[in-house]
Amino acid sequence: MGSVEHKFKVLAFGMIAEKLKTSELELEGIPSTEVLKGYLFQQYPEIKDTKFSISVNRKQVKGDSPIPNEAEVALLPPFSGG
Amino acid sequence: MEKQRKPKNIFVEGPISPEKIAQSIANHSSKTDIGGHSIFLGQVRADEKEGGKVRAIAYSAYEEMALEKAFEIREEIFAKYPLTCMHIYHSLGEVKVGEICLFVFTSSKHRKAAIESCEELVERIKKELPVWGQELVDNEKAVWKENQ
Repeated sequence: MGSVEHKFKVLAFGMIAEKLKTSELELEGIPSTEVLKGYLFQQYPEIKDTKFSISVNRKQVKGDSPIPNEAEVALLPPFSGG
Repeated sequence: MEKQRKPKNIFVEGPISPEKIAQSIANHSSKTDIGGHSIFLGQVRADEKEGGKVRAIAYSAYEEMALEKAFEIREEIFAKYPLTCMHIYHSLGEVKVGEICLFVFTSSKHRKAAIESCEELVERIKKELPVWGQELVDNEKAVWKENQ
């Protein structure tokens, strides 16, 4: 209590979900997508050599992007629909 | 009257049946300003993989984002081409080889708009929608697909 909480949800899809062994994580106190990547690579080294992009609130982001409070972040491996 | 367009669900559980496609064509007979339709059908191919042949593809999607993106693409294509109608259906879940997993259908007064917009739609769907196909191989192995 006291400090401002910064929580967000991370959704994982395809090969990333398989490697994380979950399709959803709840994280807090991570301010940006680059910091998030660093955290994920440390916690789940098996995704280091997997290609993926990141979306914040359903919009794909390029480079380092802030993660707002209560955001819905997603880890998106290369698309293969159709 | 200007038609209001809202995000539509494009996802179908399992394969898209030939009957659904036929019905969709039939539904346009009352729209007598249409002079041409263009249809693309994606079919699951029995590729040779390490350890066997593909027997099916299991599709999954980030549905909310895919529907938002599909709506955005739809609006852009409608703005770019003089189309009367546009329909997009994509499978989720398992689709066996030989079955249809993508149905894109455009209609216009004259053929060119329908043909060109259909091609552009298919390319954008494959490139921009957060959908993933996992190829299921004979021997119970699974390989994540990657679009070329």
